[in-house]
Amino acid sequence: MRILLAEDDAALRRQLAEALGDAGYAVDMAPDGEEAAFLGVSEPYDAVVLDLGLPVRDGLSVLRAWRAAGITVPVLILTARGTWQEKVAGIDAGADDYLAKPFRMEELLARVRALIRRAGGLATAELRCGPVALDTRTGRVTLDGRPVALTAHEFKVLSYLMHHPGKVVSRTELTEHVYAQDFDRDSNTIEVFVGRLRRKLGGDLIRTVRGLGYRLEAAQ
Amino acid sequence: MTRSSLTLSSLTTSSLTRRLFLLAVLWIALALVVTGIILTDLFRIHAEAELGRRMAQHLDELAAVLEVTPDGGVALARDLSDPRFRRPLSGLYWRVDGPGKRVLRSRSLWDQALDLPADTLKDGEVHRHTLTGPNRAPLVAWERSLRLPGAAVPVRAAVIADASDVQAATAGFSRVLGLSLAILAAGLLAAAAVQVRLGLGPLRRMRKALADLRAGRTSRLEGAFPGEVQPVVDDLNLLMEENRAMVERARAQAADLAHALKTPLAVIANAAAAPGGTDPAVVAAEADRMRHQIERHLARARAAPALLHSPGGTVVLPVLRQIARTVARLHTERGIDIQVDGDVQARVRADPVDLQEMAGNLIDNAAKWCSAVVRVTAVAAGGGIVITVQDDGPGIPANRRSDVLARGARLDEAVPGTGLGLTITQELARLHGGSLNLEASQAGGLSVSLHLPQAAAAGK
Repeated sequence: MRILLAEDDAALRRQLAEALGDAGYAVDMAPDGEEAAFLGVSEPYDAVVLDLGLPVRDGLSVLRAWRAAGITVPVLILTARGTWQEKVAGIDAGADDYLAKPFRMEELLARVRALIRRAGGLATAELRCGPVALDTRTGRVTLDGRPVALTAHEFKVLSYLMHHPGKVVSRTELTEHVYAQDFDRDSNTIEVFVGRLRRKLGGDLIRTVRGLGYRLEAAQ
Repeated sequence: MTRSSLTLSSLTTSSLTRRLFLLAVLWIALALVVTGIILTDLFRIHAEAELGRRMAQHLDELAAVLEVTPDGGVALARDLSDPRFRRPLSGLYWRVDGPGKRVLRSRSLWDQALDLPADTLKDGEVHRHTLTGPNRAPLVAWERSLRLPGAAVPVRAAVIADASDVQAATAGFSRVLGLSLAILAAGLLAAAAVQVRLGLGPLRRMRKALADLRAGRTSRLEGAFPGEVQPVVDDLNLLMEENRAMVERARAQAADLAHALKTPLAVIANAAAAPGGTDPAVVAAEADRMRHQIERHLARARAAPALLHSPGGTVVLPVLRQIARTVARLHTERGIDIQVDGDVQARVRADPVDLQEMAGNLIDNAAKWCSAVVRVTAVAAGGGIVITVQDDGPGIPANRRSDVLARGARLDEAVPGTGLGLTITQELARLHGGSLNLEASQAGGLSVSLHLPQAAAAGK
């Protein structure tokens, strides 16, 4: 899952990026509205955390521009503007959620999680596929109820696939959603991660669709 | 000269003094010119009537002394009584056209032949002619046709007077009148100038009072003003007092906030310096305290200025719908049904932003606690508007309700939020002259009623 974080305060941006990274997300950062607007249209994000008081270009106008361009990525507004008048304006501009500063990091993470889950049409916080379960709240993965230890990248690949069950996901798509923008990407490593996941979770879970990509399938 | 030219725009845009004075000049000049014309005309008409009356007498006398001579001609039995008929070119003449083109003339005509214009008259009629006489003087002739006893044909008898006397008298009158009116105009203009100056005196005094006020010499507009100006002065003084009160309140609030933040800051500073290392729980608790203080003060500060500027009030239902839509979106996860209903006309005496704040806090709070449904109603009751927000959640026991409002306490830490919503709403309601009540809802949850004063129906 890849997230765009648009926040101008350097200290808060670092804290947020760290917390989101720890939660298993690939995070791209934009320090101003102009860059946020650009990244939002050029990269496929799974969620956006958007500050309203951004330099160069205001967050609300960035959001409106995305919605006008048909970009439906879930957006969480994170701002010091906490009045209801401002909340109404934010929601009317197309935001999916609104969190006023000061805030608790756990609450932000919970809301981002919920946004991503909702965007995938998933109702519960625990994703299941056959014997494999992924709890989005804790990041724990279990096989038949027994915990399985995964590396950060393995978790990211599994998480993306489990958010899109039954859908064919190409290697490029996986690469785009697993790595942050400035990461040195190599789509061959995706194969390595998939191989390791098969070893840890059973070979039936992730099917290879020749020439197209991978598909998560519940074992019969 | 273009600047002082009397154009409409200069009348409407320049100073009041200038405007009033120019109007006075215009009106006085117009009135006096019309008066002069009318009086001169009346004088001329009167003088001409007087002349006509005298000439009628002369014509009667002429008719009386005319007689028929034995040879069939006409002659005067005696001279006319006015000696001017005998003094050459005196300006008063007579002439009689007898039978056979024989003409009799007064001696005053001397060697002048004075021909009357051709005319035919019935018996007894008097006709008036104007003609030019000796020395090109303007003459007026009164003529009548007479049938003398013993004469075969009627004779034309005429008396003629020099009209230049009347003209000269009229001109003289007009001159004197003009002079008098000019003096009158000067007097009226002086009076108008004095009137404008005295009349606008209170405004000048008010300007001086304002200057004193701005210079800080006084704290309000001093002095008594006329009934037309006093209300403005009173309003200004009221506005000034409100301003001062607002500044004082803002200053007090800033000081309050500073004090409120100093204690938690001290605790954090001490915790940072503690020998065993900083306890994160202490820092988190103090950060929470500071956040509460800031939100509380912000809400109060936002409400204060709005209280002075909500003339027409705010229609309640659209704001409630807007907030309900937003809250539902914020709680999409839980699929809450927020029903808004009520009096379409309901209008509260509060700024839209404040109403949004109050309704937002209440509806959001209800949405957090409800299990499925939030009901929002707005009705007029007892001269005010009551907005009721009910949820079907667990509710709050009667004995704990006052605690929630009193301290902004949170009864359950598990539901996210600052726990200040109800307290802030209560403060806002009080600032607007309203109140907040907690009761049990029909569905077993909490029912919060927000009472706000009703706004007078907006006239515009």
